[in-house]
Amino acid sequence: MSESSVPYSTHRRVQAFKGFLRQFLGHGGAQLGFVCLVCFLVLAAVPNILVGPLQTAVNATGDFLVPPSGQHLLGTDEVGRDVLNLVVHGARISLTIALLATVISLIVGATVGMTAGYFGHWADVWLMRLTDFFFVVPSFVLALVITPVVLEVMGRGRDILGFRPSIFVIIVVIGLTSWAFVARIVRSQTLSLKERTFVDRARVAGTSNLSIMLKHILPNLVPQIAANGALVVAGAIYVETSLSFLGLGDPLQPSWGTLLALAQRAGAASAGAWWYLGAPGICVLMVSLSFVLIGNALDDTFNPRRRVIP
Amino acid sequence: MPDTGDILRLENLEVHFPIQGGLFDRVLGRPAGVVRAVDGIDLTIGHGEIVALVGESGSGKTTVGRVITKLAQPTAGRLLFEGADMTSVRGLSALRPYRHHVQMIFQDAYQALNSRHTVFDIVAEPLRSLRLVENDAQLTERVSEALAAAGLNPPGDFFARFPHELSGGQRQRVVIAGALAVRPELIVADEPVSMLDVSIRAQILQVLVDLRDKHNMALLFITHDLPLAWLIADRIAVLYLGKLVEIGSADEITFNPRHPYTVALRDATPQIHTDADRSKLPALQGEVPSAARVPKGCRFHPRCPLAFDRCRQDEPPAIEVGPQHLSACWLAN
Ligand SMILES: Nc1ncnc2c1ncn2[C@@H]1O[C@H](COP(=O)(O)OP(=O)(O)OP(=O)(O)O)[C@@H](O)[C@H]1O
Ligand SMILES: [Mg+2]
Repeated sequence: MSESSVPYSTHRRVQAFKGFLRQFLGHGGAQLGFVCLVCFLVLAAVPNILVGPLQTAVNATGDFLVPPSGQHLLGTDEVGRDVLNLVVHGARISLTIALLATVISLIVGATVGMTAGYFGHWADVWLMRLTDFFFVVPSFVLALVITPVVLEVMGRGRDILGFRPSIFVIIVVIGLTSWAFVARIVRSQTLSLKERTFVDRARVAGTSNLSIMLKHILPNLVPQIAANGALVVAGAIYVETSLSFLGLGDPLQPSWGTLLALAQRAGAASAGAWWYLGAPGICVLMVSLSFVLIGNALDDTFNPRRRVIP
Repeated sequence: MPDTGDILRLENLEVHFPIQGGLFDRVLGRPAGVVRAVDGIDLTIGHGEIVALVGESGSGKTTVGRVITKLAQPTAGRLLFEGADMTSVRGLSALRPYRHHVQMIFQDAYQALNSRHTVFDIVAEPLRSLRLVENDAQLTERVSEALAAAGLNPPGDFFARFPHELSGGQRQRVVIAGALAVRPELIVADEPVSMLDVSIRAQILQVLVDLRDKHNMALLFITHDLPLAWLIADRIAVLYLGKLVEIGSADEITFNPRHPYTVALRDATPQIHTDADRSKLPALQGEVPSAARVPKGCRFHPRCPLAFDRCRQDEPPAIEVGPQHLSACWLAN
């Protein structure tokens, strides 16, 4: 409604966005993170074109545990699969898990934090108790509890959008264990935002609580949510890696964490097969580091007061 | 002045804020005390009347305004609008008719505007929330009308601007436009010009006076500036530490003040008095006491050059000292 009656508004918004982008990309860290991330996103988007279909024990192309060579740039694993092939396909799984889990985490965290902060009183007390519970509950324990539930709901063995149900278990588990961090930040920010005069003005204008939260509080939370969202992705990558490493991954759709687990079980460390452990490990490190860099740059861009004078 | 009965009446209105005590007090269940921000005031505003509420910082002016606009709940007393008791009316839909008639202009125009909304959305917000328009065309028309009335011409140029693209005066005009977009019958204006350049002040005041003249809108004009109050208001109410110490017509209060506090306020403003009519009272001593520790007896007595024994014991009632002129001072009669 507002867009149609305000002819110039989109143009100005685009300009403001351009200005923001220029400032954001002025950060060295952001550039590095951005470039790195785009590379991984390309890998994740078109793995089949880059390295062919995912190799299995049946269509493996190499010998067992061959070190990197011209034919296998990152060597092979214990059944002769090309590690480069596995890592590129793993990017798709790992990034999907991390990004979807972050979406869940941000939606739940922002809703809970904003409700608690805005309404206060007993809503705050109970929601924050819930938040504290999820803050401390170990993700692996939660995974053990909800795995059967999710599998029951989704039906075993059925693919959804090409991903297997166990992937969704991991997504839900990470989403449920990481929102508490977001909720706390959103709550404290909401506490200060709701005291601002423009919220009083909205009340006098007869705006409902829901609209005040959606139109006045939420837009002012976007910087915080975006900056912390990037950090949540970084955390999600790590949690995904450790959950898969502990055996929760799906061997038929290996993520980087699953590859690390397989490498560990194949005795890659003792056999000196550094490429097998190192390739997925470095990928995990690079992607989560990119998100941390991007998150920090977003935080700096949105929060000029916190920027350090060089 | 056009006066056909009261539009708004405050009866013995009281707003006390509890003081959050330390942990020690709370464990012992000791009440940590209260801030008596507003401590029992009676005030009426007539249709189309401009009443100025004058007082120093911390005297409770904003709190009165927040009670009238239903942003704060009084701890005692009543708030009557057109004779209907609004004190305990709550909830969005129950308040919708009231909000349609009573709007507020906030003290700090910079804080009052959400920096992520355009001017159009800001001014349109009450029209949308209170469901006063049926379609976009009507909305655009009402927003243009409000912006023009607030002196932002041509209105279309401002639709897509963000608050940071406006000057201080323009920002205050946007706040005013937002308040008058719904065509209210009463506006509470909380120091609407105190943050502005002198050159812009007169224009903004003119906008407010025009609203009264053209639409018979009533105005509660909150200010700490007595000459400004005299300039714009029909009546002036002087607030000291949460209590009205004097109330009367603007001329009476300004040129014939009967309460020592009002006299001191007038003496402190060189624009009004000539040396001849300047009182022989010494200037005000000391600071306004905290609203958490209101002095016993007359609350002005620690600073009053004329205080005598009775002032330290008993609180003076409002005494009629002239037509429509009340003063809460033992010396007044
Ligand atoms: N929400 C609150 N909680 C506790 N005390 C409050 C609250 N709001 C106001 N007060 C206190 O009530 C008193 C009156 O405050 P108020 O803001 O109404 O004064 P004011 O006359 O508007 O002052 P100024 O001219 O500085 O705006 C002050 O002592 C203030 O500290
Ligand atoms: Mg104030």
